Amino acid sequence: MQTVLSVNGLTKDFGKIRAVNNLALEVKAGQVFGMLGPNGSGKTTTLGMLMGVVNPSAGSFTWFGETPTHHVRKKIGAVLEHPIFYPYLTGQQNLELNAMIKQCPVENIPKVLELVELTARKDHKYKTYSLGMKQRLAIASALLNDPTVLILDEPTNGLDPMGIAEIRDIIKKIAANGKTIILASHLLDEVQKVCTHFAILQRGNLIHTGPVDEVGRGTETVEVNAEVDNLNEILMEFSGTSTITKESGFYRVAMRDGFRSKDLNRFLFDRNVVATHLVTKKKSLEQQFLDILSSNPQK
Amino acid sequence: MLHLLKIELKKMKDYRTFWVVCGLYFITIGFSTASGMEFLKWLASIFEGFGENLDINRIPLYHFPDVWLNLVWWSGLFKVLLGIMVVISITNEFSYRTVRQNIIDGLSRWEFIGSKMLLNVLLSLMSVALIFLIALITGFIYTPEIQWKYVFTDMEFYPAYFLEIFEYLSFALLLGILIRRSGLTIILLLLSSMLEWIVKLNVDDFFPDAIPFFPLESITNLVPLPFYRYAFMEIQDYVKISSVLIAVSWTVIFNYLAYLRLKKADI
Repeated sequence: MQTVLSVNGLTKDFGKIRAVNNLALEVKAGQVFGMLGPNGSGKTTTLGMLMGVVNPSAGSFTWFGETPTHHVRKKIGAVLEHPIFYPYLTGQQNLELNAMIKQCPVENIPKVLELVELTARKDHKYKTYSLGMKQRLAIASALLNDPTVLILDEPTNGLDPMGIAEIRDIIKKIAANGKTIILASHLLDEVQKVCTHFAILQRGNLIHTGPVDEVGRGTETVEVNAEVDNLNEILMEFSGTSTITKESGFYRVAMRDGFRSKDLNRFLFDRNVVATHLVTKKKSLEQQFLDILSSNPQK
Repeated sequence: MLHLLKIELKKMKDYRTFWVVCGLYFITIGFSTASGMEFLKWLASIFEGFGENLDINRIPLYHFPDVWLNLVWWSGLFKVLLGIMVVISITNEFSYRTVRQNIIDGLSRWEFIGSKMLLNVLLSLMSVALIFLIALITGFIYTPEIQWKYVFTDMEFYPAYFLEIFEYLSFALLLGILIRRSGLTIILLLLSSMLEWIVKLNVDDFFPDAIPFFPLESITNLVPLPFYRYAFMEIQDYVKISSVLIAVSWTVIFNYLAYLRLKKADI
């Protein structure tokens, strides 16, 4: 697969503070790459360097195998931190200006406005837009030149649940078209729902990188309840049980490797116990994230 | 290059403040330069005896070739309005953070600052064109006897006028890039001449030869004060080469420093 972005030893110091430390990453074509990390972990600084607005202290990176120039940036659509537009211009005028800067045809504008559902408001001034509309206009602007790579930094920041769902749908729609997306977020749920790969940053250090699928693998946890008194003992007899914890309303059974929830179900059925509650829980990205963070104690 | 200017004009075209400030500027220099004779007539009507001791039609304010220098010098006084506009345009880019987005979207830093410089060139050229037209028309109206050899004498004041405006706008651009806040920058722009004047007062005692090399001094030295010629018959009706060289050097320095500052900055 073609390498879209390759980062090598990228470092940024702000005075005495090292915001990004010796970062190395690779993003391949077609990936939806999530960059995770607590606030202040260096996500935006990294993206700022990749987009030419922050000068790196050390290290290098290539886009599409080329040394970065402003011409390369025209092929990338990016929204960093929050939407930035001229408040006194309308949505349409702002996009026209962006089309001039990116040197792409203005005929693309109606298409992207349609995609983010802003056509009706395009002739209103940007400063009258709600936060959700601003975010959507920013995505429209990033898509204007039909980029092969899209960079989104906290695209759902400050939105209400409906706005978050809308943006997520847009991202999925774009990813379905085969575009490479780099998504920075501190919302794990968001990354798990849309990303194929992810990296975790902490205090400027890269502490984990890999595909999201791996996170779902590993041991399963099953939530069980049944209308019998000695359910705890019955579960202990199951050979696939690793540990049992009692939660309010159900038992949480951690399974041994090789055992699935259906094995537990059959075992209970053979014992003439019918489960009233049986939910399979894969290890979530959130748990994994917290595990990784706690195994890398803050220096 | 035209592409960069178009980008800058696109930013300004629907910005009302730009039209108000530029409108005020061009209307002020246009009307004030065109109505000097009307002003003299008004003076004559107010002060008894003004018109009797002195025939106002004999004051060669608008006579070729004096008209060129007179109008250029006068309209040069209003360049501060354009300077404020330039400050607003550059500091807006920082306060809206649009400079960041422009670069993310694919402008190089050089192109960004270049588009601002091109707007400065355009504003300077428009000032030159307006004052040239007004001087030409008023010259033909008020000059008692048109002598063609005088009509196009002293034209060198126009390139000098262009340089005066452009150097000043370059200075305003640099201040804006350095300070980034519109209010503070405008205050400093307005105070800068006075601050330089205080420094000059002190320097004058020790190195009087250094005075013409001061940046703002170099702007005002380009076009000499014309009215001495009526009072003292002492005429400098030419542009000094040394003044031009100093002014060009400062213009280059201002623009280069502005570029350097932007290049080094994390935005």
